[in-house]
Amino acid sequence: MTAGPIITPGDDRPGSLWRDAWRRLRRNRLAVAGLVILALLVLVAAFGPWLTPYDFLSQNLDARNLPPSMAHPFGTDDLGRDVLSRVIYGARTAFLVAVLVTAVALLIGVVLGAIAGFYGGAFDKGLMWVTDMTMSVPQLLLVVVINASLKQPITLWMEARYLETLNPIYRNSAIIDFVLVFGSMALISWPPYARLVRAQVLSIRNRPYVTAARALGLTNRIILTRYVLPNAAGPLIVAVSAGLGTAMVLESAFSFLGIGVNPPTPSWGNMISDGLRVWTNYPHLLLAPAAVLAVVTVAFNFLGDGLNDALNPKGQK
Amino acid sequence: MSALLEIRGLTIDIERDTGPARVVDGIDLAVEEGESLGIVGESGCGKSLTMLSLVGLLPNRIRATGGSARFAGQDLLALPQEALRKLRGSQIGFIFQDPMTSLNPVMRVGEQIAEALIHQSGMAKPAAMERAAELLELVGIPSPRDRLMAYPHELSGGMRQRVMIAIGLAGSPRLLIADEPTTALDVTIQAQIVDLVRDLKDRFGMSVVWITHDLALIAGLADRIAVLYAGTVVEDAPVEVIFDRPTHPYTRGLLASLPTLTDRPMTRLPSIGGTPPEPGRRPPGCPFAPRCTLAEAACDAAVPKLAAVPGSDPRHRVACFVTAGEGGRA
Repeated sequence: MTAGPIITPGDDRPGSLWRDAWRRLRRNRLAVAGLVILALLVLVAAFGPWLTPYDFLSQNLDARNLPPSMAHPFGTDDLGRDVLSRVIYGARTAFLVAVLVTAVALLIGVVLGAIAGFYGGAFDKGLMWVTDMTMSVPQLLLVVVINASLKQPITLWMEARYLETLNPIYRNSAIIDFVLVFGSMALISWPPYARLVRAQVLSIRNRPYVTAARALGLTNRIILTRYVLPNAAGPLIVAVSAGLGTAMVLESAFSFLGIGVNPPTPSWGNMISDGLRVWTNYPHLLLAPAAVLAVVTVAFNFLGDGLNDALNPKGQK
Repeated sequence: MSALLEIRGLTIDIERDTGPARVVDGIDLAVEEGESLGIVGESGCGKSLTMLSLVGLLPNRIRATGGSARFAGQDLLALPQEALRKLRGSQIGFIFQDPMTSLNPVMRVGEQIAEALIHQSGMAKPAAMERAAELLELVGIPSPRDRLMAYPHELSGGMRQRVMIAIGLAGSPRLLIADEPTTALDVTIQAQIVDLVRDLKDRFGMSVVWITHDLALIAGLADRIAVLYAGTVVEDAPVEVIFDRPTHPYTRGLLASLPTLTDRPMTRLPSIGGTPPEPGRRPPGCPFAPRCTLAEAACDAAVPKLAAVPGSDPRHRVACFVTAGEGGRA
């Protein structure tokens, strides 16, 4: 018996869909630039403590508001702290918030969206109702409400725990900030993921290969996790790369408004906020964190666009 | 031979906002152990729905509303979903129409074949992959061990259909349902696939139900042919009887529209005028009467029942008032 020819993709060795996508991504210069910038930033954030020339907290009141120089590439702020060190630590804050918030939002969104899309019914209706409600309230307002209403009870509870145990961890106000910022941001970030996953699952669950999997007698759980969700991964990856950038900007926005991470923990947002008050005299205090934030945001957008093209090859040829 | 599958009076309705519309209207069919049955009919006559209803895979809003379907002694229509799921793949295998879209694009073909073995039979992964390689070899894929690691998009249409057949065979089912598995393939590949399925059927002693609208293709494969029209069986006979003595006017029409080598060049092939009735708008009498050139007054008044054709093969049955008495004159 003769068999038909085996078709292999033109170049490279026969590879997976992911390898094809990677090849397309590499051809996109902007996406590669975005990827390089983000990789650099991740490295800087990860190895921050070994890279910073100064301690980000140590003040030097003899060297306040210095313009950029060899000793202080981004200058110093009004307390004589090295701005470069603070920007680097701000990157740690930004990445930590962005990654954790996106991870939590993604987890909630994928689980709820997949179940709603796959099984439908009352759960689906209820979930769509909740996402509509959450998305209809302005994000900033929602976070302000959550922070304002939860901050005091949590602070009081922490204080009580401290007095009970004398464990200094309960005196660390940064933890409150992070928990509140993460929590409220995750709370407003998951509905778009849930809707995206639900829409993907709705379109995939009736594809022939899902019917074929059913005809094999596979259980719903296996069909959902091995046949439906992996095929929804493309748009989700694009959404995550955009979502990371959005979360980073969101954190900066909240810190800028004073409802996010509080000083002395460095965040680009509160640095911009501080710099804005004195920018006519000391523009470098505004410029350094703002420029870094802008570059990172643009990098995320380039990468997101590139991923979108790479993972949806049908749109091009 | 005993009947492995026996469908009696099966009805399937589409739930519409305006009320249910009947798409399958009392189908009677039997498949013997080791037999291959061809189900022939035009699009929308209920061929696929009938088979999907057996294993609980009907699409949303389409339901089997009556009749019975006994498979190896149990009524499939009465079984709970979980029992049907266990039956799928292990007792009743499926091969679907379009090999381009019926394989999971992000899973290697080896894994897809092994999937059923691992999750249905509880086989360990290395053993399942070993078995997958055997199955690929069985369906005529060269260097099967290398192909295990291929993704569906790296294979041609004919190869993918072979992979689909390997998946369908993985659970060693007693009944293999092939739903127009060659429609999307080139003619030369079609013949290869038909040969392959016939070989495999003889080798494993499976029963095969082959759904198609291509009478010529099925001639080389089926032991018996059931002709469906508008959700009912209009004629059911051994394959040679269908070709030698077609009795129902619809069957005759189908056969007349096949080109033959003796046709004069440049002559038009005969076709059957009109279209089948819409679901839910079937005529009160014989569903084929409005298109039938032989229709009489009786045909519009009552629905003919499937009955033996006197003077023909004992297994030859037809649902027609006019031609049944002719003894299957060719």
